[in-house]
Amino acid sequence: MRNSKTLTTTLVLVVLAVVGAVLPFLLSHYYVDLLTMLFVNIILVSSFRLITIIGDWSLAHLPLMGAGAYASALITGTLGWPFWPSLLLSAIIAGVIALLMSVPLSRTTGFSFFIASYAAGEAMRLCWTRFRQPFGGHTGLANIPDPGSIGAVDFSRPIPYYFLALLITAVCLWLMYRVCRSRIGATFHAIHSQKSLARALGINVVKYKMLVFVIGGFFAGVAGVILVHRMWAISPNQFGFTPTLYLLVWVVFGGTGTFAGPIIGVSVLTLIDQLLDPLAEWLPMFYGAILILTLLFLPEGLEGVPKRLQSWYRRRQDGGKASEDSTTPENVTTEEQD
Amino acid sequence: MIGQTIANALITSAFYALVAVGLTLVFGVMKIVNFAHGEFYMLGAYAIYVLYARNSWPYFAALVMGIVLVGILGAVTERIIFRPLRGQLIPGFIASIGLVFILQVAVGRLWGVGKMKRVPAPYKGEVVRVGGVSVDVQRIMVFVGAIVLIAILILFLNRTRIGRALRASAQDATAAALQGISVNRASAIAMLIGCAMAGAAGALMAPVMSVYPYMGGMVIWMAFVIVIIGGQGNLKGAILASALFGFLDTILTTVFDSTISNLLITVFLLVFLAIRPQGLLGHAE
Amino acid sequence: MAILELQGLRKQFGELVAVDDLDMSIEEGEIRGLIGPNGSGKTTVFNCITGFLHPTRGKVIWQGEDITGQPPHMVASRGMARTFQLTNLFRDMTALQNVVMACHLHTGMGLVKQYLMTRGTKRRDREIEEKSVAILEAMGIAHVKDEISGSLPHGHQEALGVAMALATEPKMLLLDEPVTGMNPSETKDMMERIKHLRDTGITILLVEHDMKAVMSTCEEITVINFGRKICQGSPDHVCSHQEVIEAYLGRS
Repeated sequence: MRNSKTLTTTLVLVVLAVVGAVLPFLLSHYYVDLLTMLFVNIILVSSFRLITIIGDWSLAHLPLMGAGAYASALITGTLGWPFWPSLLLSAIIAGVIALLMSVPLSRTTGFSFFIASYAAGEAMRLCWTRFRQPFGGHTGLANIPDPGSIGAVDFSRPIPYYFLALLITAVCLWLMYRVCRSRIGATFHAIHSQKSLARALGINVVKYKMLVFVIGGFFAGVAGVILVHRMWAISPNQFGFTPTLYLLVWVVFGGTGTFAGPIIGVSVLTLIDQLLDPLAEWLPMFYGAILILTLLFLPEGLEGVPKRLQSWYRRRQDGGKASEDSTTPENVTTEEQD
Repeated sequence: MIGQTIANALITSAFYALVAVGLTLVFGVMKIVNFAHGEFYMLGAYAIYVLYARNSWPYFAALVMGIVLVGILGAVTERIIFRPLRGQLIPGFIASIGLVFILQVAVGRLWGVGKMKRVPAPYKGEVVRVGGVSVDVQRIMVFVGAIVLIAILILFLNRTRIGRALRASAQDATAAALQGISVNRASAIAMLIGCAMAGAAGALMAPVMSVYPYMGGMVIWMAFVIVIIGGQGNLKGAILASALFGFLDTILTTVFDSTISNLLITVFLLVFLAIRPQGLLGHAE
Repeated sequence: MAILELQGLRKQFGELVAVDDLDMSIEEGEIRGLIGPNGSGKTTVFNCITGFLHPTRGKVIWQGEDITGQPPHMVASRGMARTFQLTNLFRDMTALQNVVMACHLHTGMGLVKQYLMTRGTKRRDREIEEKSVAILEAMGIAHVKDEISGSLPHGHQEALGVAMALATEPKMLLLDEPVTGMNPSETKDMMERIKHLRDTGITILLVEHDMKAVMSTCEEITVINFGRKICQGSPDHVCSHQEVIEAYLGRS
């Protein structure tokens, strides 16, 4: 049983790798950049999902991505550092900021955490808006350097940058996956499902909440760095309320129960995005509707589809006998009262 | 200078209270935070724009009609969106965020996004001067309107059967059922009233500020902070918190600027949530 | 030597006094019963001892050290394990997996090591698995070790809850109503095992409603009502104590 699952997964990954390697040469530069942005968003949703393993939904995630972006913009722009060291340092800075935020945040849970995380992220964003030195204020920063060249490969061009992003994304996903499968990941799950029990067994829940938030923040920072060195300009609005909504839609739509769920969610929705491009002004409304419909009718997101298909199929097999339909919305997250 | 600041602060507090009280009512009865509350505020302003500015209705008729329409829309969204999610804090909140964008885009498509709309003041820029303090009449109307509507609400909640049932419902759904009102009915009424009050605030403010689809964003965050710190679902607390933050915001904006005010209040909220020993659902125990 | 001592323990919720100046001293190797009518504050005492609640006043002394107000994970690492009234289990996992998880959660380990270890691939895991099976045997549920814990009958779930507490290798076990909902033979079985646990050197504090179980197992019993101690002594002494009788009869 185990082997067939690993076989399928390996097969899927190989196919994706091949497709990913070939695709940029078949598409226009516009779509190559689009895929690059998809990679950024994949890192974003995956790191967000990591935090949900322990039971909390964080609205500070986009701001933390912005922290990585601003850090790298300043380190490469003002300080003149090259790309790769800046990537690492900026992600670490995002992680440190997450650590600082987690000091008050880890004392909250559930809905409190949700709101407090928004407050923490927003406070940081307001600093970027308010202080023209060094953040560029409302209009943000521009003229951010690209990663330069290695030999003949010029990373200011879409296709080389695409592969850069692809590589970094693959590494990040691998690292995050390892966290999930490690004992740390098991502890996160244990805390989520039985917090009191975990505490009684010796788990310092506050420490683990801080840890997961820092890890999430670190990878959000990485995503921000990849973003900023392709766009060459950033502003506070890119990390505010509207992008946060999109993140929520991707995650709710894809589901948070599995590692791949959010990734599939963001990919599907990005595809739909493109198909609906002529109706671009209606997009936020469309996303709002998807969000609400998903919450009402498919609370587990896309991850719930196989199960529902199964039970639908089984009901048909039973001769169409009406059986209990679990359409009552389960909690998307559990509200914990501590 | 101080007198002017106090006058401004009073008006701001009354305005915030009008918005926050509606949000508090919804939270108390439905245990859901409606982040689209700001959009109902916006819709109230648009009602004035469409009826009064574009179609020359008398101002008060437009005001009343706006309040009614927004209230009804609120009840509709309760039925469709919030009823199935009642009691689930995070899903309900996320759904309300979805509603924010639906309403913003709808309004933007209907009446355009570009330039902000100006609504002519019913009392053309008349200004009252007392001592060294000057306030324009429309702002005084906001102040008076807010106080009147909140007073009506308090009377309603304390003196009428439905109102008392709503209060009971905020404590305990079974108690409400005993009072003869179903939870569904209570939720619908709470949402109707809550959104209507937000719409009223928008309608009163329309002549004072520009009308545009994203105007709700300025208001919702402050209302939100007030509801949380005022003790979610606690009307008295909300009113007190409105006064506190009305003054705080005015003073900070006068001394520094609005971004700094926003920043400090946001940090205040963060610290508040971190220090509170219990979660948001528990009342002080 | 008293292994656990409560000095003037008091817990108030606003105006409600749940625990009222409670003094209690438990010797190492005892099986102590803590009984009282519903709402007398027994679980609150538990929660104060194990760090789930902060006492309003008073002290909790463990092995001579003041641990008042320390968080639950610290209390657990100092050797006090507890069970929960509504048995807390990892319901989607098998009984064995539950105990293994408890062992894992208890083993403090550097974060880097934890990151490098994936589940079920190291030699150490085999040792832990053997240890877990032994614990399950001690609680008499080794035969259901591969059943999903959520689908086990109530008695087995209770036993599993105790097994998980044992995985932390405690010096003292605080059992919160371990036989509630069990039939007489299950109850007898559980109480026998509890006695056996004490014989292996673990001090026991037992909160229970089932009088027969408490009287036949505990050597010393503390009775509380309205958060206050009203009697302490041997089972015979407690049974014949006037206030105790009134507390229980008066309630029903």
